[in-house]
Amino acid sequence: MTTPAAQFDLQRNEAGNLVFTDAAGAVYGNVLPVRLFPLTDPTHWVAITSAAGHDLACIEDLATLPEPVRVLLLEALAHRDFVPLIQSIQAIRRAAHGYEWFVTTDRGKTHFTVENDESIQPLASGSIVVMDHLNTRYLITDPATLDLKSRQKLERYY
Amino acid sequence: MLVKCRLSEGDALKMREPWSELLQRPPDGNQLRRRGKLTIKSKLRKRLLWDAPIFAFWQLRFTKRAPAAPSASAPPCYSIRLSTSIPGDPLTLPHLEKRLEPGERAVARLQLDLDERLQFQKGLLVLTNQRLLFLAENQAEVGSFRDWPLGQIGDLSLEEMGATGALNLSSAGQSGRAQWRFTAGLIKEADTFVARFAEQQRTLAGGMPADTPAAADPDADHEGLDFADLMPEAAHGNPMLRLMRFSRPWIKLIVLGLLLTIAATSASLLTPWITGVLVDKLLIPLQTKSHDLSLQQLLPYAAMLLGTALVAWLLKWGRTFVVARIAELVTSRLRRELFEHLQRLSLIYFNKKRTGDLISRIGTDTDRLSLFISLSFIDFVCDVFQFLFTAFILFKIHPLLAFAALGPVPIVAWLVRCVRGHLLSGFAASSRAWSLMTSVLSDTIPGVRVVKAFAQEQREIVRFRQTDHHVYATNDRVNRTWSFFSPMIEMFTDLGLLIIWVVGALTVAHGTLTVGVLWCFVTYTTRFYGRLEAMSRFFASAQRAAASAHRVFEVLDVEPDMPATEGTRRIGRLSGRIEFRDIKFRHGSRQIIRGISLDIAPGEMIGLVGPSGSGKTTLVNLACRFFDVSEGAILVDGQDLRDIHVEDYRKNIGLVLQEPYLFFGTIADNISYGKPDASRAEIIASAKAAHAHEFIMKLVDGYDSMVGERGQQLSGGERQRISIARALLIDPAILILDEATSSVDTETEREIQRALDNLVHGRTTIAIAHRLGTLRLANRLVVLEDGRISEIGTHEQLLQTSGTYARLHQAMQEVSHT
Repeated sequence: MTTPAAQFDLQRNEAGNLVFTDAAGAVYGNVLPVRLFPLTDPTHWVAITSAAGHDLACIEDLATLPEPVRVLLLEALAHRDFVPLIQSIQAIRRAAHGYEWFVTTDRGKTHFTVENDESIQPLASGSIVVMDHLNTRYLITDPATLDLKSRQKLERYY
Repeated sequence: MLVKCRLSEGDALKMREPWSELLQRPPDGNQLRRRGKLTIKSKLRKRLLWDAPIFAFWQLRFTKRAPAAPSASAPPCYSIRLSTSIPGDPLTLPHLEKRLEPGERAVARLQLDLDERLQFQKGLLVLTNQRLLFLAENQAEVGSFRDWPLGQIGDLSLEEMGATGALNLSSAGQSGRAQWRFTAGLIKEADTFVARFAEQQRTLAGGMPADTPAAADPDADHEGLDFADLMPEAAHGNPMLRLMRFSRPWIKLIVLGLLLTIAATSASLLTPWITGVLVDKLLIPLQTKSHDLSLQQLLPYAAMLLGTALVAWLLKWGRTFVVARIAELVTSRLRRELFEHLQRLSLIYFNKKRTGDLISRIGTDTDRLSLFISLSFIDFVCDVFQFLFTAFILFKIHPLLAFAALGPVPIVAWLVRCVRGHLLSGFAASSRAWSLMTSVLSDTIPGVRVVKAFAQEQREIVRFRQTDHHVYATNDRVNRTWSFFSPMIEMFTDLGLLIIWVVGALTVAHGTLTVGVLWCFVTYTTRFYGRLEAMSRFFASAQRAAASAHRVFEVLDVEPDMPATEGTRRIGRLSGRIEFRDIKFRHGSRQIIRGISLDIAPGEMIGLVGPSGSGKTTLVNLACRFFDVSEGAILVDGQDLRDIHVEDYRKNIGLVLQEPYLFFGTIADNISYGKPDASRAEIIASAKAAHAHEFIMKLVDGYDSMVGERGQQLSGGERQRISIARALLIDPAILILDEATSSVDTETEREIQRALDNLVHGRTTIAIAHRLGTLRLANRLVVLEDGRISEIGTHEQLLQTSGTYARLHQAMQEVSHT
């Protein structure tokens, strides 16, 4: 399942794109790393896909990778990753379609619209994922660590 | 900050609010939170934007609203939403204006919401006729600023990255590359911005004067408007009040119920009064032997008591029955409207919702409302009357004593207030837990074959146990709150009574009060607090009902995103010409169709091929008008699909899906689903043509065989052939096959194939297939890739070009040889 680290190479070209070389020496330009379990297990299972969307490699544990490749991969992942972690909830207000949430995340303050109850789902790890109407995911890693006011607001809707 | 108003298409631009003034002034505080009404010409959307200063971040969103009462004469309504940046934002007009050179004019702007590290941060990109400017709202220095002369910019491109997007700029100058990021919601605006940029670059390259007013073209301006994005007005008010409005048709019955309630309450309130008089006039004199009284004088009192009891009983009977009927009528109307509304909603809505949740909203939540109206609500009305009556009587009898007795009431009221919020959220949670449980049920029971096959019964049991425990836990939490309540009210009753006994004893000793009156007083006070307790319980059930009502109205408030009233042109049978005219389709932030133009002649068969996710199914959904195109147009027989009456159009369409859905009923019912009045002969003829006749004959009940909820007793191929017969029976001009042969084995595929050959004959057909054999009759094959047509031609032509189709074909060959 997983591709051993020795069997591929990853580099960044001048244009800033990732270039992938597989065990047979074939070179793929502009490849894309993808997390396979972005919410439940973001640190494991990263796949590398070609520009056309074909699977090139699958890495179970990033820690097994040699230094330059790992850093490159993490950088590329961070570039695309956008799952703000909700740190506190200022208000949840009834809006036209669902509820408008005003929150502080690790990426700053923002607000978004949550359409229905199904958009708030618990994950096996105990965290809660909130999906807004544009399918952006917001994560509450551990509801118990929120401050009391935020928790009360959350409890009303979840 | 928002300015909202409703627009309807009229003749003149009439403004009640000084809109033009509003638009030129930078926003301050709550001033913009006003509402205005204006009638507009359809040109207004251009006009408003035109008047607005370009930097003020005005975004206009027009939403076409279905008229409240669907009638042909009502003009379409628009709801318009203007949003601006937050006041005090450094990125406001004056800040930017002073950066502009003389003669420089802004052409387009894009407000960004992320910085390059993906932190929420505001920024502004402005395209002028000379430069591209960028302003960032920076914590350190207010408004950092960069600019690129247009001549040096190589390329500006949009990149979509799931939850975010990026604009990439490559420039010849020393500033080099740049990238701006924003959330997915802005992708469409960014797209427009890029288009504007390209336009501006072309203008420059064409050697035309740089100040050609590109923005002066009002059509270009309204391109940025977001018609597809639905932004209806918020909040429809208290769900309980809406429930009242819902029961308006039965107002007479309700008035009758109320009158009966008042009468019954007054009747039952007479009893303590009579008892009090009885004590004073009869019992005490009898005991003290102060007067000479015979027991015969008891009789009128006994008769009166019996009389009031009988009258109260009759009145209460009438009341309960009338109210129960109202409750049933109202909830039945709710259920009906809910279901009818659901049938009008688009597929997108059903994709988002869980079946179990919808079922529980129609079933359980309306039932809760019925219970609430028939039991709790009427009890509450009674209680309020009794409460007021007793309070009135108490004050009438002895104001001082009444004051003393009712002392604890404010405390109780305050407690009720405190607990209310708790209860509301608790009941909402319990309702959600309940629908979660129903969801598990409606998930597991139809999927029982999969469960058993994978021996996962235990896992499902655990899953159910967990959700059930969740129901228990949420209910338990609520119960803890309200069970605390009644004992406490009891305590206050005792307290009130204690006060009465003490104060009463003193007043009796002073001789200002008789024992009978005191007795009567005590009884009334007990009742009073009893009512208070009942009322507090009512708050619990009211909150529960409010939560249910909210869930019901939530569904009713979803506006059908494709109003069936829109297209009004009635049509008969079509000849079947379909023309896709540069259509684009965007769902949420995802662009699925990126520009397809295709002309299909009547009777032609088009095969759609392409990798999954290339937009094949979306294209046929658009052709069926399950969704509307975002840009471009679909024309059938030369008429825009959006102008045609939806039902008339769908009568011309036959649809065969990958997973045939058979409804509960006989095979004949299922075949004649699209044409319920079809004759038996027609049914059999179409079954024969669909090669379904033979296997149907083998069934014991023939065409009258019942097929289960999902047609369990039939094989996949058999079910598919029934659905083909269903499509054949309505004799559609346009036929859509969505992977009709994908889920069956080769042998069955051959059978279905023969059935399909009959179906396709003489109809315009759009067929999606992974098995290319299904498409051997196709006149043209269209290869879709990433929302665009990449190849088009016959089987042979496409094999020769050795492109995607040739590759797919080869892969197919390899699969069938191994």
